[in-house]
Amino acid sequence: MVEIESIDEWRHRIRRDPERGMRTDVIVYASRALLEQISKDLSLQQAMNVATLPGIVGPSLAMPDIHQGYGFPIGGVAATDFEHGVVSPGGVGFDINCGVRLVATSLVEGDVRPRLKETVNQVFRDVPCGTGGEGFVKIDAGQLEQVLAHGARWMVENGYGDQRDAEFAEAGGALEDADPDCVSARAKQRGRPQLGTLGSGNHFLEIQYVESIHEPEAARAMNLAEGQVVVLIHSGSRGLGHQVCTDYLAQMNAAMKKYDITLPDRQLACVPTQSPEGQSYLAAMRGAANFAWANRQGILHFLRGAFRRIFGQDTRLDLVYDVCHNIAKQERYEVDGKKRDLLVHRKGATRAFPPGHREIPEAYRSVGQPVLIPGSMGTASWVLAGAQGAMEETFGSVCHGAGRLLSRTAARKGRDARQVQKQLEEQGILVKSETRDGILEEIPEAYKNVDEVIEVVARAGLARKVARLRPMGVIKG
Amino acid sequence: MFEILEHPADIGFRARGRTLAELFEQAGEAMASIALELEDIAPRREYPLSAEGPDLEALLVNWLSEVLYWMDGERIAFRRFRLDRVSPTAVTGAGLGEPRDPARHRAKLIVKAVTYHQLRVAEVPEGWTAEVYLDI
Repeated sequence: MVEIESIDEWRHRIRRDPERGMRTDVIVYASRALLEQISKDLSLQQAMNVATLPGIVGPSLAMPDIHQGYGFPIGGVAATDFEHGVVSPGGVGFDINCGVRLVATSLVEGDVRPRLKETVNQVFRDVPCGTGGEGFVKIDAGQLEQVLAHGARWMVENGYGDQRDAEFAEAGGALEDADPDCVSARAKQRGRPQLGTLGSGNHFLEIQYVESIHEPEAARAMNLAEGQVVVLIHSGSRGLGHQVCTDYLAQMNAAMKKYDITLPDRQLACVPTQSPEGQSYLAAMRGAANFAWANRQGILHFLRGAFRRIFGQDTRLDLVYDVCHNIAKQERYEVDGKKRDLLVHRKGATRAFPPGHREIPEAYRSVGQPVLIPGSMGTASWVLAGAQGAMEETFGSVCHGAGRLLSRTAARKGRDARQVQKQLEEQGILVKSETRDGILEEIPEAYKNVDEVIEVVARAGLARKVARLRPMGVIKG
Repeated sequence: MFEILEHPADIGFRARGRTLAELFEQAGEAMASIALELEDIAPRREYPLSAEGPDLEALLVNWLSEVLYWMDGERIAFRRFRLDRVSPTAVTGAGLGEPRDPARHRAKLIVKAVTYHQLRVAEVPEGWTAEVYLDI
């Protein structure tokens, strides 16, 4: 049994237990109701295991959408000392730079609603999920090297978007110091035909409308207005990133002995960040992250084509922002009054920089970084803005979604895909999926209440509510 | 023999075999069945597969990662597997199947990776059993 003490209504602590090898506390952000749900699976044990990582700085953090993952919990944040700490591929996850991009259209709900079916069908045709194999972005081996090095910027320079798209993504759509040579031939072989595809599982493309605005000034800066149609894209680095993680997990499991590291879970495998293995992983991870930004850029390109075919060539689809929620990044924070270089592992957690931060595009600098939180397909998604609390408490991070409640098998049990589809249609939500299970496993009941999750991060002062989005059309693998 | 196991975010399976070779064959088939409808696939070609690992658990993860690479990277639809040589640190064998044809092979899920999460390989009175979780 894990002993949890409440610091206040939204913050809870599991004290460091040296007998379990914990080097630090776990801090959980949750309401009491969410905490009860969180305690039902292994996620808190996993957050305690993360607290054993050598060189961890500050507490092991659990966001309100936390749920059981493998090794690291999903919805966890861990910062390690960049010079003397470790890097863990499990702290990033198999889907390196899985993330979300939000696109603002020049259409309103009334424009799209009468043509929703046609729109969903067109987008479904033009933006492949990839369960059948290939996407429409054709690149050769040399071009893939460029994608790994330059991410969304390469896509924009090669006709898959405009200059603004790269500027409005986290890190400008490409991390520096990616080394394509550190990405295996197998990873490249898996990824190359999949560029510009959504993937399956919880990945999706949603046509939504802005249901309500909660902070008008921030919404204006983000070009969001009530009733406006937006599109939310959730995808990652596809087979390329999955293979990079697989390759380096195997390598690190073998190398840990050399560095005298023992851990309670092999999936946490890690090595010193400054070791040759650590540096090689980070260079490969950055390449996979760049591939993911290029992937979401490819999806946006084909989405634009689909919308313009239906609503006319002058229809605007402007990128609001693109955030990653599976990544390890070198960032600088004040810890105990001293500035320190840290490697912030965000596993199912979103960066949330406050107003004034120099890494935010100038258009948003006065309101803070847009934070994009997808909910489940029948409920809502949120746009937030980063707040100062995140810099002081959570290494500039918040939650990444609603968080799963039911297992995939439990979600399928006793349910019929067509019935679920019909129920959603009655609520004005049209779903099209490549697979039957794709609909059943992502039913709204399989997730926690996204509004409750958002309430926690807002009340804890980590981010501010900007807009609530409601789905109209859902496309998934 | 294999059965599917629950996990809050992902999916797993428990495979059984009278021998270690049969265990690895069944584990491969369990994973293949999570990605595609097996009944759509004809085992008309053989693809040589092999893996190594410092211990049985790592060997199983590496074997399944090898199978997954051929499924996702070379786009092969596997119907079943055959193990020819098995030692505690290396396996060689083959996957039986055919090139992936989206028109004929119904897709179920895209498997991202094989994890070490709650991984278990054990000798039991009837032979061998293993539990594996996949990231999907």
